[in-house]
Amino acid sequence: MGDMANEIKLLSGNSHPVLAKLVADRLGIDIAKTLSLNYSNQETSVTIGESVRDEDVFILQSTAPGDINDGLMELLIMIHACRTASARRITAVIPNFPYARQDKKDKSRAPISAKLIANMLQTAGCNHVITMDLHASQIQGFFNVPVDNLYAEPSVLRWIREHRGTEDVVIVSPDAGGAKRATAIADRMDRGFALIHKERPRPNVVGRMVLVGDVQDKVAILVDDMADTCGTLAKAAQTVKDHGAAEVIAIVTHGILSGDAIKTLNDSCLSQVVVTNTVPLGDKVERCSKLRVIDISPTLAEAIRRTHNGESVSFLFNHAPA
Amino acid sequence: MVRNIVILGGNSHPALTENICNILGLPVSNRTLSKFSVGETRCEIKDSVRGKDVFIIQSGGGSVNDHLMELCISTWCHMSLTANLEEPVLTLKLVISACKTGSAKRVTAVLPLFPYSRQPDLPYNKAGAPLSKPPTEVPKDKYTFESVPATPAPGIAHTPSFNKDTDLSRAMSRTSLTNGHGPVNGTSRVNGESSTAIDQTPAPARPGLTTLHTQSFTTHDLQNPTLINTFQAKPGYKRWVAQAGTLVADLVTCAGADHVVALDLHDPQYQGFFDIPMDNLYGRPLLQRYIQQNIPDYRDAVIVSPDAGGAKRATAIADSLGMDFALIHKERRPTRITDRQNATMMLVGNVANRVCILIDDLVDTANTITRAAKLLRKERATVVYALITHGVFSGDAIQRINLSAIDKIVVTNSVPQIEHRKLCPKLDVLDVSPVFAEAIRRIHHGESISVLFQYD
Repeated sequence: MGDMANEIKLLSGNSHPVLAKLVADRLGIDIAKTLSLNYSNQETSVTIGESVRDEDVFILQSTAPGDINDGLMELLIMIHACRTASARRITAVIPNFPYARQDKKDKSRAPISAKLIANMLQTAGCNHVITMDLHASQIQGFFNVPVDNLYAEPSVLRWIREHRGTEDVVIVSPDAGGAKRATAIADRMDRGFALIHKERPRPNVVGRMVLVGDVQDKVAILVDDMADTCGTLAKAAQTVKDHGAAEVIAIVTHGILSGDAIKTLNDSCLSQVVVTNTVPLGDKVERCSKLRVIDISPTLAEAIRRTHNGESVSFLFNHAPA
Repeated sequence: MVRNIVILGGNSHPALTENICNILGLPVSNRTLSKFSVGETRCEIKDSVRGKDVFIIQSGGGSVNDHLMELCISTWCHMSLTANLEEPVLTLKLVISACKTGSAKRVTAVLPLFPYSRQPDLPYNKAGAPLSKPPTEVPKDKYTFESVPATPAPGIAHTPSFNKDTDLSRAMSRTSLTNGHGPVNGTSRVNGESSTAIDQTPAPARPGLTTLHTQSFTTHDLQNPTLINTFQAKPGYKRWVAQAGTLVADLVTCAGADHVVALDLHDPQYQGFFDIPMDNLYGRPLLQRYIQQNIPDYRDAVIVSPDAGGAKRATAIADSLGMDFALIHKERRPTRITDRQNATMMLVGNVANRVCILIDDLVDTANTITRAAKLLRKERATVVYALITHGVFSGDAIQRINLSAIDKIVVTNSVPQIEHRKLCPKLDVLDVSPVFAEAIRRIHHGESISVLFQYD
């Protein structure tokens, strides 16, 4: 009977079924039968089609641009449904944590929405969270349950080695906040590092940029955790180019690419934009010839497998499963 | 003028917020509620709320999930804000408890229509077994009374909308149903099936409003029967729909609300889902006053409850006005296996040659109410009124009502009704803002609000 209960049950929300399928294939399991609908009054309804009693439930939900709140509510309802259905443990797999940028009180009366999301997930009944490249790793402290913050870095490093080589490369952080992430990659590759300092007058608007470091005649790789409207990226790329870089590439974990991002990227001086598939990209790959996608489902699948078997996850912080 | 109150309105129903503020003699608080381009809700409160008694008004209509997040974030805003004023270095949790016991006043969530208060279960028979066989014959081109509305459940085909061969619908096609609160399109997807099913599902189309004819009126993708048919529970497992009621209560509490005010909850038991004080106001006095003032010879009329669940609500009105009462009973036993949703309706009571007043708390797809009206008319009722607290009117409800035997439908503005009024000449709207304004005033001053429950 030991193999009857407490197996991995992978549930998928509506936001990113493609990633869920990749993860399930990697794990060699089927996605659990669920059906989520929007009622005519726009409330979300979730139906679970198989037993989750005493199982180890993993619910994968990403953030589809424009549908964040619906996706979030769907995730919360799914968690709650599994809890009321006596699941042994419920792990929310959220490759791109929503509201991660609202993580501090940067001005009076600004909400720390990331903390609210953390509270909501726990209120719904989540026992564990697996996420990737949190905007600020301190968000882990918002939770009272374990949070595994995976890194796309090993996958990114592999991509650079396989597709660009490491000759003449300089890693550039497009803002001061991402300096640590960029230096980590630069160190691992033993290559140079530069930083762009920017002034941001309002959200989603980019001000003046100053480059610190040398990019002359090098292949500059801009590294960041997320690209939303891509205003920052395009301006940063231009700044780097103006300082004499031979070529500019951007590698971004979460390619949200909302608003006019695709147009901005197409018009920019970036030669390639590399994102992971944490966020559904839809038809953006067709609309932007510069876009390259790294599949991070092996990392997620391995994290799920290790979490389920009670093995250490820290191996994944430095190694990308093949 | 009431002091030290801050009234904040969400985006769901600004008109109601404004009315309430006018009655209380207060300005609407200055706030920004918008969305980042990625779709995350953004909230910024411009006025100071230190030490104030904060009321946040957000109704449940339109894009429910967005509005719920707005509510939670604005509530959260206050919590973290007051927290920061007290002591920036303390952890948030500590400060929240500090501000609750300390100078910060409370945050009250006012939800005229409580979201997720009514989550229907799967259709089932009397023995409790699910009726999993979908109806085999769904009229694809004709709208009739027998059409099944877009009832939210898997396996139920959605109602076809009007098509051009109906005269009325052609007349209505000139008015597009752009009722200002978001698209009526939904998305759905079946998981756990072949990858082709996943690939075929179109990308969620959010923005843009649907008109009546250009796109067939999908409330969810149930019009795609293949999608539903691929979803089958594992053998031996009774599939069930998640009930989000407690969850929503927990989420509102978790965002930091200290008090919740709602109107005519679908189930009064819902109050028990909260660990914080919750006041359930009643729309009954408003409806009662409407009957007394607008229905001639109302004492000879009959109050009718369209289903057994609402009998208590209807009898209360009948009793206090000294009127007769009748009840419509939905027989769940299917007469034909192909037509399981066409539950037989039985009328208990006499309505012949009398004015009938249907009373209910919520009209969503308007299936129950229009079918009830049809039955009443068949039983020779002279005039059929429908008095309902919350008029959600989702899907093709308005068309359904326009075609129905209902002569007059009266709802409150707990949900924005301006667009509905344009489309439905039978619709009358009662203003609930005085009820909420009075409740807010009394809650703020610590007065009893039970007076609001006394109608006579």
